[in-house]
Amino acid sequence: MGLDYAAVEKEVCKKMTAETIVSMIRILVFPGALFLFTLAFFYEWVDRKFFARLQNRYGPLHTGPHGILQPIADFFKLLSKEDITPHASDKLVFILAPIFYFALPLTTLFVIPILSQTSLISFEGDLIFVIFAFTLIIITVFLAGWSSINRFSTIGSMRAAVQMLGYEIPMGLVMVGPAIAAGSLSISRIVEWQSLNFWLILLQPLGFAVFTVCLLAELQFVPFDIPEAETEIVAGWRTEFSGRKLALLRLGRDLELVLASALITSLYLGGSQQFWLIPPIVIFLVKTTFAVMLLSLLRAVFARFRIDQMLSGMWKYLLPLAALQIILIQLGLGG
Amino acid sequence: MNLFKWARTKSPWIIHFNTGGCNGCDIELTAALTPRFDLERFGILLEGSPRHADVLVVTGPVTLQVKDRLVRIYEQMPEPKHVIATGTCAISGAPFKECYNVHGGIDIVLPVDAYVPGCPPKPEAIIDGISKLIQKIKKE
Repeated sequence: MGLDYAAVEKEVCKKMTAETIVSMIRILVFPGALFLFTLAFFYEWVDRKFFARLQNRYGPLHTGPHGILQPIADFFKLLSKEDITPHASDKLVFILAPIFYFALPLTTLFVIPILSQTSLISFEGDLIFVIFAFTLIIITVFLAGWSSINRFSTIGSMRAAVQMLGYEIPMGLVMVGPAIAAGSLSISRIVEWQSLNFWLILLQPLGFAVFTVCLLAELQFVPFDIPEAETEIVAGWRTEFSGRKLALLRLGRDLELVLASALITSLYLGGSQQFWLIPPIVIFLVKTTFAVMLLSLLRAVFARFRIDQMLSGMWKYLLPLAALQIILIQLGLGG
Repeated sequence: MNLFKWARTKSPWIIHFNTGGCNGCDIELTAALTPRFDLERFGILLEGSPRHADVLVVTGPVTLQVKDRLVRIYEQMPEPKHVIATGTCAISGAPFKECYNVHGGIDIVLPVDAYVPGCPPKPEAIIDGISKLIQKIKKE
């Protein structure tokens, strides 16, 4: 056999490198990390600006056109500041917690379809992975506050952990709703199912409402900003973080906002689907911007609950509503 | 102008500390932050924790009681940091000057970057003081 092994090997290597480069670009640049950072900064601006307009203010105005560069200015300023590690803190956890808090939402965003109907990483059961990642984020918050050895941080982290007991179960229950309807635990399949049938917000409006309320608690937005209540416990679990660590925490919060809006979009608003000639990515961005504005609207019109009110409200009203939604789906309504 | 200096001039976050004034300046500072004047236009946010803040806005004279606490708050802030003395009390001690329980103005204890006179200063005056501080940061 006169097979030229060297040539075949060369061919295979060439193909492999081309594939590796393409997948590296997809993960690092578009629609991966770099694109998601830009989106995170943009949505922080949308959130702050919309929040300010609801309060009859202007919000960021003089940093770039209409203040659009404000989150980037904040980020670079924090990067250039002194990075203090308190003497009494648990140093390893204190340094690692901001990195995890920023890396977890970023990783989770890879399973959400952005560019087309299939995501970067898609497998059967990635919905379970998202629920698990949400729990891990709150555990990171708890560790961040606990490791600072500061009385305000400790109170804040305990509140974050207690709050998790309230909203975790209704959120998990309600996220199963779209999965039952689509007959799959993969987010990409749920998006695909919605493009063939109806948007799930029309079939499961109750589930959408419960999910939005739970996401407010997950993001620690105003009715549920109990873990970092500024008027009570300084800055809650992030009191001791400064400089680079605070910059990472803020970026992590913004990525979490992107994740929350992307989840609302993918599970209930039809996700990134082609509409007429408009590419799916544009549809996705429009829908997520709408979701961010919905979240900041709710943030602006409510006042903070106490921790006991939040817990009893979640268990008394939200959990039965979530269960009712699942029962309705089982009875053949909305599935 | 390099990136970090631009970022610093565009987002000075303030922390507010009353060392024992009459609350007049505090009301005016709050007015500067609320919708009518809206300091967030310039990227200025009010932070609760000294670890997050860049500018310490002090109102009131330094009393014997509060001196150590003021210095401690200042030391907890990360570098680079700035101080604004708001109101006549914070500048010199004003009516409380040479009282048995008062040290005097803020600059006895801390390095002050900008003074905003007035009793109390208007919100416009406070915004003007902060913009002068930003000019100072630009020249550094």
